[in-house]
Amino acid sequence: MLYVHSSNCISPQQTFPETELCELRESENNQLRVKEPAYTNVPPGILRRMARAVRICVGAALPLIQGIQEPDGIIIGTANGGIEDCIKFLNQIIEYNEGLLSPGSFVQSTSNAPAAQISLISKNTNYNNTVTHRGLAFENALLDAVMLLKEKPDGIFLVGSVDEISDYNFNIDLLAGSFRKEIVSNRKLFDHPTIGTIAGEGVLMMTVSNQPEGSIARLNDLQTIHTSDEGLVLETLKQFLKRNGFPRIVPELLITGENGDIRLDKYYQAVEALFPENISVARFKHLSGEYCTASSFGFWMATEILRNGKIPDIALKKGKKTGFNKILIYNNYRGMQHGFMLLGKAEALSSSKQ
Amino acid sequence: MTMETTELKQQVKEQIIKFLNLTTLKPEDIKDDEPLFGEGLGLDSIDSIELIVMLSREYGINIQDPKDGRKVLVDVNTMVDYIEKNRTK
Amino acid sequence: MSRIMITGMGIISSIGTSLHENRQSLIDEKSGISQLEFYPTAYAGKLPCGEIKISSATLNQKLFSQPDPAITRTGLLVIHAAEEAVRDSGLSKAQLSSTETALIGASTVGGMCLTDEIFHDAHARAEGTPYTSSYDFASATLVAQKRFGILGEVSTINTACSSSANAISFGARLISHGFARRALVGGADSLAKFTINGFNALNILSDKPCAPFDRDRNGLNLGEGAAFLVLEREEDVKGKRIYATLSGFGNSNDAFHPSSISPEGDGPYLSMKRALEKAGINPAEINYVNAHGTGTENNDETESRAMQRLFGSPPPFASTKSYTGHTLGASGAIEAVYSILSLTHQELYPSLQFNNPIPETKFEPLKHYRKQSIQHVMSNSFGFGGNCTTLIFSIL
Repeated sequence: MLYVHSSNCISPQQTFPETELCELRESENNQLRVKEPAYTNVPPGILRRMARAVRICVGAALPLIQGIQEPDGIIIGTANGGIEDCIKFLNQIIEYNEGLLSPGSFVQSTSNAPAAQISLISKNTNYNNTVTHRGLAFENALLDAVMLLKEKPDGIFLVGSVDEISDYNFNIDLLAGSFRKEIVSNRKLFDHPTIGTIAGEGVLMMTVSNQPEGSIARLNDLQTIHTSDEGLVLETLKQFLKRNGFPRIVPELLITGENGDIRLDKYYQAVEALFPENISVARFKHLSGEYCTASSFGFWMATEILRNGKIPDIALKKGKKTGFNKILIYNNYRGMQHGFMLLGKAEALSSSKQ
Repeated sequence: MTMETTELKQQVKEQIIKFLNLTTLKPEDIKDDEPLFGEGLGLDSIDSIELIVMLSREYGINIQDPKDGRKVLVDVNTMVDYIEKNRTK
Repeated sequence: MSRIMITGMGIISSIGTSLHENRQSLIDEKSGISQLEFYPTAYAGKLPCGEIKISSATLNQKLFSQPDPAITRTGLLVIHAAEEAVRDSGLSKAQLSSTETALIGASTVGGMCLTDEIFHDAHARAEGTPYTSSYDFASATLVAQKRFGILGEVSTINTACSSSANAISFGARLISHGFARRALVGGADSLAKFTINGFNALNILSDKPCAPFDRDRNGLNLGEGAAFLVLEREEDVKGKRIYATLSGFGNSNDAFHPSSISPEGDGPYLSMKRALEKAGINPAEINYVNAHGTGTENNDETESRAMQRLFGSPPPFASTKSYTGHTLGASGAIEAVYSILSLTHQELYPSLQFNNPIPETKFEPLKHYRKQSIQHVMSNSFGFGGNCTTLIFSIL
């Protein structure tokens, strides 16, 4: 499908500019927020107007595209874009009773602002798209990149995702029942599954192409499904694995989006049970928190594991820590939106499905 | 220049920084006669609307036609001059 | 690669609740821009809009046997238009729910039409409203996914005012690359305090019905609506009624400014040029352009300039936003439907409220309805953030 050449992941953990996942950074008030880096590549005149989601996205993207050929397209998945600015503007509407309002936060709040700002700063007039499909925004942005690489086989594309926590969307999702009512540390997220999880945020930006040379990892296949029926989820997974050589070829590592929400455990358990006992299982929501494009953190972790050859201790659920050529990621959002992504080392999968 | 004008200039500079989120600037970095738009601070059309909102909220001055705003929003001197003559709060 | 055929369409806008009503209003040159009667805002009676004169409660009752308490107006508009498109194409329930059917929606407002409810929930004042899972852009698409039981690829796009034009091309590309066999594609937006106040803060809303491409134009009118198309592969449509083929599409970012287009219209020029390349036709073969034509100072001037660069002297063009207002994320799909109606009925719909041309280009949009033999129609959609998309529809 495509090869990942470079990536930047700004997350609540130490993942940018250097990666150090020995120590787990702890959540506060059921939230895992990113620590913003210093932005050396962004002109201050532009930076001052950016919503936080736009800032972290641009901050992750720009270093990747400086010094390479101009990307042939920029695709970003985001459920909510700069939601904080969006609701700040709504606050103004209420506070000033639809009077004279400051337009800055309105302009920044449109969810295509991250992708648009990257094009604007890098003066890139090529393809530009923003996918806002809630819990599958990242997977569907990847699918766009996969199609673009079929249309322009020698192209390079910048693809990724971003979502931010603001107090506002935290409150809305809390009322919707997404988060724990009591405070829980991310260290203990999986100890006593109950209703709800913790909130997170983050950005992943990557350059991708059809060239195996110099790549970090390969996305071999991708599949999504909308359903709450775990039987249908399993059926979809079986077909997905079959077309990727299962049972002859079995991934050695399963990364799941398990998030400590008891309502979703049945899906993750059913998927785990489909594989041989000796498969390694890793999870990441205690590192990233839950958000619509959190599967991108799982994707980034898979590329890091393929690059380094080992799983960080804090992410391992069971099994061995090394020796992975193929990794399956399964994530689901609110038990309705399910995504499967199969990754491999560039060499290991080069003989299987294109 | 009166003491009040000097203080008002300082205050207006602080408000410009706050409303336009010019976090890298301090009030003393903005010269009284430095053009706000184009060369100088390099502000644009959205900033000019933000400054009209600022004049309304901070000084009770309502500029109906944004084109009138261009005459007022030349530099800190022109803004302060206009505020002194037209403020309602 | 097989061609992408349009076999069904559905639409709801301020000029009609069906394909037939919309076409009749275009022929009669009847605008849907009026003072607000339903949407509660301080600007009711001051800023005219393209409002659909049916309450959300009435729409909910009409579309659901048991009214859905969590559905937003945007979601209702999606269901209304998508149902018509599905009926029009004659897709069976089994075809719809198959894993081979994709659904691609688009919206820029999503559930934010519920400004006061979001404010309430965002500040966690006591218990939540029924809408806590309905505010995002995907919610309206997800309502349609559930309604039709679609198991193929489902996505939502938000590239501001070009959103649904991109949803249409995304669906076509899924089919071309074998990720889907057919696709239900389109978009919806409803009026919202969020957009009314946002565009008003930028001083680009007109207090009169908008006058696209007129020298004295003074802004846009917001509108609401939804439109969906059914796209199918050429080899699957034998014996079916085929409206047109989606022959070309092009996407470009203008990379100039967050809320205005570059003086030479670089993004618009590139999106039109790329769509022509994809369609494999020359500029001179375009018979009619459904322009983006919002009625703002910046858009109409830069779009004219881009057309001048591409065509020299452009073919007949018009902005149907003078009928519907600017329906934002829905406009690409709504104007795609109008472009296809033009092709199907071999007729051109004029622009309203035009008196004097823009001095720099002296371009005059089409001023009167007329019958004309046409083969290729171009539809432009440009958005905030510089997101420009052009679609080309053709008859065989």
